[in-house]
Amino acid sequence: MANLKDIQRQIKSVSNTQKTTRAMKLVSTAKLRRAEELAKRSRQYAAKMNQVIAEIAGRIKCNKIGGIDNRCFTEIENPKTVDIVFVTADKGLCGGFNIQTIKAIKKLLAEYKEKNVKVRLRGIGKKGVEFFKYNEVELFDSVIDLSSKPDKERADGFIETSIEDFKDGKIDGLHIIYNGFKNMMTQELHVNTVLPVDTDQFECGDETKSILEIEAQDDEKMLDSLVNRYVQYAMYYALIDSVAAEHSARMQAMDTATNNAKDMVKSLNVQFNKARQAAITTELIEIISGVESMK
Amino acid sequence: MSNLKLEILTPNGEIYNGEAISVTLPGEEGEFGVLAEHSSLSTLLEAGVIDIEKEDKSVESILINWGVVNVDEEKVVVLVEGAVAIRGETESDVAKALDAAKELIDSIKDNNPAIATATARIESAAQNLI
Repeated sequence: MANLKDIQRQIKSVSNTQKTTRAMKLVSTAKLRRAEELAKRSRQYAAKMNQVIAEIAGRIKCNKIGGIDNRCFTEIENPKTVDIVFVTADKGLCGGFNIQTIKAIKKLLAEYKEKNVKVRLRGIGKKGVEFFKYNEVELFDSVIDLSSKPDKERADGFIETSIEDFKDGKIDGLHIIYNGFKNMMTQELHVNTVLPVDTDQFECGDETKSILEIEAQDDEKMLDSLVNRYVQYAMYYALIDSVAAEHSARMQAMDTATNNAKDMVKSLNVQFNKARQAAITTELIEIISGVESMK
Repeated sequence: MSNLKLEILTPNGEIYNGEAISVTLPGEEGEFGVLAEHSSLSTLLEAGVIDIEKEDKSVESILINWGVVNVDEEKVVVLVEGAVAIRGETESDVAKALDAAKELIDSIKDNNPAIATATARIESAAQNLI
């Protein structure tokens, strides 16, 4: 039978842990509310932006606008180098949140390796960056404190390199991988192909009435500027969506931890009572046998 | 003539969603107006003022710093980066909106003649409201 004092100490330590996890859950709940609000307001804009870009891309694909040869809208047959930008959290203790993202990155990396495509891995968020550093996977560059505090300007600056390199032909594709917010209980992994703009979903012929009416000499300028904003916003949206998801994942993980601690305290209490009872019984037997022997 | 459906979206949410008689937009090539059943068009907008003529003939002005507009037969969707609507019930509300608008103008770095026009425009819009 375990020592009474040992069990008591264990009960105390577990209930302290429980207090911590409960506090962390509350903090995450408060932060989640703010992050979710931000993500919700941006979702509509992001969706409309994608729609506009997809429509333009579709029109170009279906040759509704002649003479446009923009790299961002043309499918690249044999990519040589691609950029993968991933977003993970800066902190752990959020269940499988980071691991899910890392697994998706590894899968994509393996796919590209098979095809002999060079990958430039660009990381945002301490957890992911540390993981790849530890596993000696080369990172092209990384930022540590951007994913916990999304900032439009810094996000723009970060993704600018990829946009420029794509336009210069140094890279042939850009993916953004992040774990996004679906609802309070679930996160949704996104592997988005940002560049070149995905035109697969666009069927030719359903926009026959629409014609892009822009002056020929402005086409390139307009598309360039639009694509820049589109990619920048896709990056920023990935960051804010990821923060919301991170908090919801942490909230859940901490809730589970609190419940587990509760169960553990319960079973430890049973153990403690048993040990106490056993001690009392032994003591009684000792006293009785002592009295017996004096007769 | 029927009304057109107009949506103006910013990264921070909707700023306008409803019907309008016409809308005037600050295109890169110059200002242009859109009425219902306008032919399809997509173009960039520069810093300037969007004027919305509403059903009750009143005009609402919204200051923007950059945007893209997508017009089709059904509706007009304007995506903007930063926007301030010059509106408000009381004089102080309008003054507040005006301050926010001026702040947005200050944040636009490049020295564009359109910006000077925009400043004058929002001030006169605010005057009309008061």
